[in-house]
Amino acid sequence: MGNIENQIFSSYERNPDLFDEIYDQEGTIKPVYQKLFDIYGRHSIQDYVNLNAKAKSSFFNQGITFQVYSEKDTQEKIFPFDLFPRIIDQEEWDIIEKGAIQRSRALNLFLWDVYHDKKIIREGIIPMDLISTSANYLPQMVGVNPPGGIYNHISGTDIIKHNDGKYYVLEDNIRCPSGVSYVICNRTALKRALFGVFNHYQTYSVTNYAENLLDLIETTKPKGVDIPVTVVITPGMYNSAFYEHSYLAKTMGVELVEGRDMFVENDFVYMKTIRGPVKVDIIYRRIDDLFIDPLEFRADSALGIPGLFSVYKKGNVTLANAPGTGVADDKAVYTYMPEIIKYYLGEEPLLNNVHTYHCSRPDELKYVLENIASLVVKPVDEAGGYGISIGNKLSKSEIESVKKQIKDDPRKYVAQPIMSLSVHPTYIDESHSFEQRHVDLRTFTVLGKDREFVLKGGLTRVALQKGNLIVNSSQGGGSKDTWVLKQ
Amino acid sequence: MLARVANNLFWMGRYIERSEHISRYLNVNYFSSLDAPNLMSQDRQFVLRSMLFMVGEPVVDESRKLKEEEVLFRIGLNPEFPFSIINNVKHARENANSARDLISTELYESINKFYHYVLNYPSEVFVKNGLHDFTVNVSEMSAILRGKIRGTLLHDAVYAIIMMGVNIERATQMTRMINSKYHDALCAQGSYGDKFSNSFEWTTLLKCAESYDMMRRFYKKTPTSISTLEFLILNPNCPRSVMNSLNQVFGHIKILDPSKAYNKTSTAFLIGKVRAEYQYKFIEEIEGNIQSFIDDILQSLTEISQKMEKEFFNY
Repeated sequence: MGNIENQIFSSYERNPDLFDEIYDQEGTIKPVYQKLFDIYGRHSIQDYVNLNAKAKSSFFNQGITFQVYSEKDTQEKIFPFDLFPRIIDQEEWDIIEKGAIQRSRALNLFLWDVYHDKKIIREGIIPMDLISTSANYLPQMVGVNPPGGIYNHISGTDIIKHNDGKYYVLEDNIRCPSGVSYVICNRTALKRALFGVFNHYQTYSVTNYAENLLDLIETTKPKGVDIPVTVVITPGMYNSAFYEHSYLAKTMGVELVEGRDMFVENDFVYMKTIRGPVKVDIIYRRIDDLFIDPLEFRADSALGIPGLFSVYKKGNVTLANAPGTGVADDKAVYTYMPEIIKYYLGEEPLLNNVHTYHCSRPDELKYVLENIASLVVKPVDEAGGYGISIGNKLSKSEIESVKKQIKDDPRKYVAQPIMSLSVHPTYIDESHSFEQRHVDLRTFTVLGKDREFVLKGGLTRVALQKGNLIVNSSQGGGSKDTWVLKQ
Repeated sequence: MLARVANNLFWMGRYIERSEHISRYLNVNYFSSLDAPNLMSQDRQFVLRSMLFMVGEPVVDESRKLKEEEVLFRIGLNPEFPFSIINNVKHARENANSARDLISTELYESINKFYHYVLNYPSEVFVKNGLHDFTVNVSEMSAILRGKIRGTLLHDAVYAIIMMGVNIERATQMTRMINSKYHDALCAQGSYGDKFSNSFEWTTLLKCAESYDMMRRFYKKTPTSISTLEFLILNPNCPRSVMNSLNQVFGHIKILDPSKAYNKTSTAFLIGKVRAEYQYKFIEEIEGNIQSFIDDILQSLTEISQKMEKEFFNY
C-alpha cells in the first residue's frame, strides 16, 4: 500500500476498533489523504522533529500562549500544535455548515422565546423547571429586546465524528466561545513550516473571520446609529484568552477595552480616550454575564461597567453575545435540541445529537446509576472540560463517589453513552512518531440580523494523551490545522 | 486611543529606551576601564560605583568593597531590583501586551523575542563572561525595536505617544549619564596629571552615548569637558543630545495637540517652553554650573511627563 517506503507512517499503529480519519477499515489510505500522505512520507522523522521545533518557537516568539492556573503560579504555555492537518471534504463540510447554522438559528429563536412568551414551555415541549433551575438563566433579561433580535451572535459548536462515520454535536457554546484565533495561527504556522503541501489542495482561507464578524455584528447595531463604534472588552491581559481578544480587536481594527476604560452617562456607554469620551455602540464582550455590570449582577466585579445593563435594556448598546445566552447552551437543554429545531424551524436536525439521560428524571437516574461504567457523566453548567467523569476509566471507589455526587444533586448531571471520537495521526514528541489520537472539531458561526457566516475551517482539538477523550486546552489538549476543501 | 493604553504605550517606549542606556553604560564603562590611561579610571571599584550611581543607587560609604559579580547581577538580571535591565524589559513587554491590538505584529514579535532573550539569559554566564555579549545584544535588540516602531506603525497618535516616551526617556538617561560621568571626572581628576577638562571620562561618556565618532568628526579634536557637554546637550544634530530629544518631543506633541494657539496650561506649551530655553543657550552658561543644569533638566522632564499624564492618560 505504499506504506513500506513511507518512513513517517511505517510505525503507525492502527487500532481497528477506532475510527481513523485517514485509513478505512481495511487499512487503505482514504483517497483525499493520499497526496498528503505521500508528501509527508518523503520526509524523514528527523526532518519532522526539526520542523516541529521550528513551529514551537514560532508560537513562542509570536507570544501565542495561554496561561495555566495552578495553586502556586500561573505559567505561560504554548498551545501544542500538530503539523499533520485534518481534511474535511466539501460534501461533509456542507452538512456541518448547514447544521451549525440551523442550530444557531434555532437557539436564537429559543432564547427569544425563553425570555419573552415561553411558548415552548407552555406547549409542554420543554419542562419549566429545566429553565427556572438553570444557573445561567437571567431573570433580568425577561422582556428585553436585544438590538437586531440576535442573542447568540457567535456560536462555537463542538462536533465529533463517531465510529459510525457520522458527525454528532457534543455541545453548543454560545456564551463566549473561544479558540478562533488558534484556527488562524495554526494555518499560519503550518504555512511557515510546510508551505509545499498547500500546492496540492484547494483549501478555503480562514483569515476572513474578523471582517465577517465585524460586518455581521454591526448589522445588529442599536437603533438610530449610523456608523457604529465597536469595541472588544476583555477581562485584561492576565486572562487565559487575552491573546485571542487582542487578535480579534486588531484584525477588526477596533479598540480593545477593559471595564475601567468605560463608563455610563445619561443612558449611553462611553470609553475614555486621550481626546476625551467616545460613545460606544457595540460591545463584543469576552467577560462572563455575571461580571459585566456590578450594579445589576455581581457587585464585586471589577471587570464590568457599572450601569451597562440599564443602557442595554434601553436598546442603546449591543452586547455580543447577549447576556443570558447560557441558559440555552446548558447541557440539559442540549438534550432537547432536536425538539427545539423542529419546533422553531419546522426542520429535521442536520447534525445528530448524542442521546442523553437526565439525572433529574427518576427512571433515567436509575439507568445512569446502574450503567455508570459505560457512560460519560457531565455537570450541566461547567465549561472547559471540568468535572467530567468517563465511566470506563473509573475505579470502583471512584464510581461510588460519582454516584454519590449525582444522588446529591441530580439536576446538576446528565449522562451520555461513551462516544468514540474519531482518531487522527498525530506527531507525539515523546516517542518521535505518529500515533492515533482522538480529535473533535469546534466550528464558529456568526449570526447577523439577516445573514450568517460559518468560518470554513474550525479548530480541530486533539487529546494528546493516549486514549484520552477530553480535548480542552485546559486539560492538555493540542490542535491541528483544519482544511475545508473547495471541491 | 484609550487613555489607559496610551499611558502603557508611553511607558513601553520609556522602558525600551531605558534598558538600552543602562546596558550600554555597563558595557562601555566596564570595557573602557580595562585599559584606561590612569589608575583611578582603571580601578574596578570606581567603575562599579559609577554603574550604581547611574542607575540611581549611589554607594555613599567610601570604604565599602563592592563585589563585581553582585553589582553586575543586580543591575543586569536581578528580578528583585526595580531598575535592573531584566525588569525594564519585563515592563516594556507587559506594556506592549496590553496594547497588542494597536501595535504591529512585527513590533510585538520583536519585543517578545527580546523578552525571551533576556529572561532566559543564564545569570552565572552573565556575571562571569557574558557582559559583552548580553549588553551588545540588548542594545541591538532595542535598536531593532526602534526600527520596528518607526517602520511598521502608522505615524499617528499611537506612534507619537511611543516616541514621546522614547525621547523623554532618552533625554533623562543622557542627563543621568552626564551626571554620572561628571561625577566620575571630578573624582578622577589629578590622579595621573589628569585635569577635569581633559579627563578620559569624557571619551567614555561619548561612547556611552554612541556619539564618540560623530563628535570627533564635528570638532576634529580630543574631547574636552566643554566640547563634550556642548555636543551631548545642545547640538540639535546629535541624535542622542538632550536638545534633539526635546525637538522630537516637541514635534510629536503636535500630533496629539495640533492647536495653533497654545493653551498655557497644556503639555505642548510646557514642552515648547523647556525646548526654547535650551535652544538659545551657550554651553558656557551650563558648564559653570553643571549640577544645577542637571537638576533643572531632570525636573523639567518630570514635569512634562506628569503633565502628559494629567492631560492625556487620566481622563
